[in-house]
Amino acid sequence: MDNFERHIRHNAGQFDGHKADKDKMWAKISEGLRQEKPKVIPLWKRPLFRVAASVLLLLGIASFFGLAVFNNSADKTQYASKELMEIDMYYKDLVSYQVQLVKNNQALSEENKAEFLSFMDELDTEYEVLKKEMQKNLDNEQVLEAIVGNYKKRIELIENLLHQLNESKKPNGDDYGYTL
Amino acid sequence: METDIRFTHRSIVEQCKAGNSSSQYELYSRYVDAMYNVGLRFLGNTEDAEDIVQDSFVEAFKNLDHFKYESSFGAWLKRIVINKSINHLKTKRISVVPMEAHEFHLADEEPVEAEAVDILKVKKGIAQLPDGYREIINLYLIEGYDHVEIGEILGISTSTSKSQYHRAKKKLLEIINEL
Repeated sequence: MDNFERHIRHNAGQFDGHKADKDKMWAKISEGLRQEKPKVIPLWKRPLFRVAASVLLLLGIASFFGLAVFNNSADKTQYASKELMEIDMYYKDLVSYQVQLVKNNQALSEENKAEFLSFMDELDTEYEVLKKEMQKNLDNEQVLEAIVGNYKKRIELIENLLHQLNESKKPNGDDYGYTL
Repeated sequence: METDIRFTHRSIVEQCKAGNSSSQYELYSRYVDAMYNVGLRFLGNTEDAEDIVQDSFVEAFKNLDHFKYESSFGAWLKRIVINKSINHLKTKRISVVPMEAHEFHLADEEPVEAEAVDILKVKKGIAQLPDGYREIINLYLIEGYDHVEIGEILGISTSTSKSQYHRAKKKLLEIINEL
C-alpha cells in the first residue's frame, strides 16, 4: 500500500460528509417492519419452545414406531375389545364350517346351494358395513349387537337349511326340492 | 481489541433481537448517517441511497437472528447496504467498463505508486470515474475491504479485483493530476 492509499484509508471518515434525513427514513423503516411480523422466528429460539418442540418430536417418533409395530395387528385392534374379537372369531369359524357343510352336501341341488349362498353374501356385505361402522365408533353397543345379530342370522339360516334337509331325508328322498 | 469491536453495541443489538423498537431506533440512529454515505457513494443520488438504506435496515432488523457477532454490527450492516447498492446498480445499468474485458492485459501491469493527495481532490476525482471503477475504488480505499472480500461482493476473482483496482487507481490519479 502506497502513501496515496494509506492517506485515503486513514481519512475515510472525511468521505462521510452527508447527513441522512433521519426521521423520514425511520418512518419508512418502521412501516416496513410493521408489514411483516418479524418476531415469529425468535419465538422458536426460546428455551421453552425448544423443550416443547423436543417433546412433540419424541411423541411423533414414538407414535410413528408404535403405528408401524401394531399395524400388522390392525385388523384385530379395530375391535372394541378382546371379548368382541373372540365372539367374532367363534362365529366366523362356525359360519364358515357350516357354509362348507352346505357346499359339500350332496343332497342339495346346485340351485338351492346358489340361493343359500346369495343369502350368505348379502349378510356378508351387511357384516362389512358393520365392521366399518365399528372402526369409526368403537364403543357403539348397537353396532356390536348388530354384528352378533348378523352372525346369529347366518347360523339360524344354516341350521334351518340343514334341519330341513335332514327332515326331508327321513320319509323319502324325493321331497327335498323345495326352496327356503 | 478485535473482540471488543465485534461486540460493540451488543446490549442494544440483543434488545433489538428481542423486538424492542426503541432499541431498534437507537441502533438506527447510530448507523444511519454512515450507511447513508455508503449508499450515496455507490448510487450517486439521494433518492436511491435513501431507498437502499431503508431496505437494508428493514432487512437487518428482520434477520438480526442471523447476526452472530462474527463481525461488528456496523460491518454486517454495511455489507447489506453495499450488496443492495451493487445489485441495484446491476439491474439499472449495463456496465460502461466491463470488468472482464481488462482481465488479460492487466495481469502484468505494474501497480502505480503515488504520494498522498488532498482528500478534496480525491473526492472530486472519484466522482468523475466511470461507475465500475468508482465501485472498486470505493470498496478498497474508502470502505476498506481487501481483494478477497471485494471478489465476494462483486462476484469476481481476487486477481480480477486486484488488476481492476490498479487500473481504476491509475485512472483516478490521471484525473486528479488534471484537476
